[in-house]
Amino acid sequence: MKKKEPTFEERLARLQAIVTTLETGNSPLEESVALYKEGLAHAAACREQLEKARHDIRLCTEAGTEPFDAAAQEEE
Amino acid sequence: MDAILSVRQVTEHLRQTVESRFPYVWVQGEVTNLSRPSSGHVYFSLKEDDCLLNCVWFRRQQKDEAFDPLTGEVWEDGPRPSLARTMENGQTLVCAGRLTVYGARGQYQMIVDLAQAAGLGLWHQEFEALKRRLAAEGLFDPAKKRPLPHEPRRVAVITAPGGAAIRDFIRISATRGLGAEIRIYPVPVQGEDAPPRIVEAIERAGRDAWAEVVVLIRGGGSVQDLWAFNDERIARAVHHCPIPVLTGIGHEIDHSITDFTADYAAATPSHTAQILWQDRHVLAQHVDGLETALHTTFFRRLDALSLRLEHAARSLSLLSPLARLRLPQERLDSLAQRLHASVQQRLEQYRHTLDSLHDRLLKKSSSAESLAADLDRLTLRLAAAGNNRLLRAEADAERAQSALVPLGRMIGLAQEHALSRLELKLNALDPFEPLHRGYAVVSDEEGNILRSVSRTAPGRTVTVRLVDGSILGTVTDVRPASSETMP
Repeated sequence: MKKKEPTFEERLARLQAIVTTLETGNSPLEESVALYKEGLAHAAACREQLEKARHDIRLCTEAGTEPFDAAAQEEE
Repeated sequence: MDAILSVRQVTEHLRQTVESRFPYVWVQGEVTNLSRPSSGHVYFSLKEDDCLLNCVWFRRQQKDEAFDPLTGEVWEDGPRPSLARTMENGQTLVCAGRLTVYGARGQYQMIVDLAQAAGLGLWHQEFEALKRRLAAEGLFDPAKKRPLPHEPRRVAVITAPGGAAIRDFIRISATRGLGAEIRIYPVPVQGEDAPPRIVEAIERAGRDAWAEVVVLIRGGGSVQDLWAFNDERIARAVHHCPIPVLTGIGHEIDHSITDFTADYAAATPSHTAQILWQDRHVLAQHVDGLETALHTTFFRRLDALSLRLEHAARSLSLLSPLARLRLPQERLDSLAQRLHASVQQRLEQYRHTLDSLHDRLLKKSSSAESLAADLDRLTLRLAAAGNNRLLRAEADAERAQSALVPLGRMIGLAQEHALSRLELKLNALDPFEPLHRGYAVVSDEEGNILRSVSRTAPGRTVTVRLVDGSILGTVTDVRPASSETMP
């Protein structure tokens, strides 16, 4: 992969741009189909990103960071 | 909008109005109506001339003071008892707390958080002084507030790791955002140790330059609990932090110097998580909306293109040389159709004729067949009849024969009988019979019996037969009877 995986926001922005292009532009059929396919792929990828989204919570220590366990902290 | 409000609605509106308008107030007045029931709560009123403010000081807010809440200086003579226990009617106090509406009594009242005897160093005065000073320095300048990052992926959270604030923050953020790394910078959030440690954490986060946003949070508590966040050092650290700072300290009603300095002050720790990240459902809805728009626009585009294609095709077909061929083609088609139809019709007629002939033929042959059958039948009947007749005839013959045999016998008997009778008769007629009685029979030489004299002549021989023999003689004379008399 020469390019980095686009972020959610980038995909969303691209999807929005595609919709705008299709709405206003007079793109030829082949291009419209390509844009449509690209848009569908972005939408699917966005959903997948949302599905997979999890926060990684870490606690800063003197040495660096370690996984944060809220339950363990509360017992202290 | 309903014109008529219920008591509860009015009370609730009043409560919200009062609480939002007076989130936290400092009030000075003379203590009156002081009451200390066994519950430990303290009830009193603050009075000024003819105005009265009802106050309640709940037991959990009544703390003995080990240090000066403003300076943090520890009193050398040990903790001082809470003013709640020492206050008296007629004493002038400055009380800090929230205003609220007590619905059950239809009263507004003050929930006292802390109180100080008037004339002592007043917290609120310090607070207001610091606020004015920092504002003058431009620490609260709205123009200098930095925008918070959108959907941040790297978030530094400065808080107590065991507190309610981080718990709320994690809980709320769990369903939001696109997956961020959250680093917790652990600090104490109250007590004299808190301000320097918080400052240190803010500076460290700034030095790390890892986070997109620094979040400073602390759960709700009393004014005293939250007092650390009115520390000038923290305010300056926030102000100098190279990374935007978001605060969520205490409840909605609490406002600290740190809040004023922050780039954005959220109402609560939970609220900071809500500000940082959008709910994933909302994001998903956004994706859905865009996808729907994509479908709609794409198919609209497709429709438009196909409409154009249709138009073009129609125009083209009108201009096409094929169009000129169409009329002759149609005529040809029609002629061909007619031809086909007429041939078909003709064929149909022939077929019909053929069919009827065939039918007739079938009928004919069937009549010949029936004749033959009749013939056969008749032959059979004839044969049967002939046979019958024969049999009948045989039977008749047999019957006749059987009838004839006895008849024949009868006839034979009858003939025998008749014969014997005839014999008798014959015997009676025997010409020689009378010979016995003397008669004679004369016969000529040839043996013929002479019945007339004419039959003989003299000289001829006659034979006269008598019963016992014959006499031969010669006729000497013939005398006819006329000449003789009968004897």
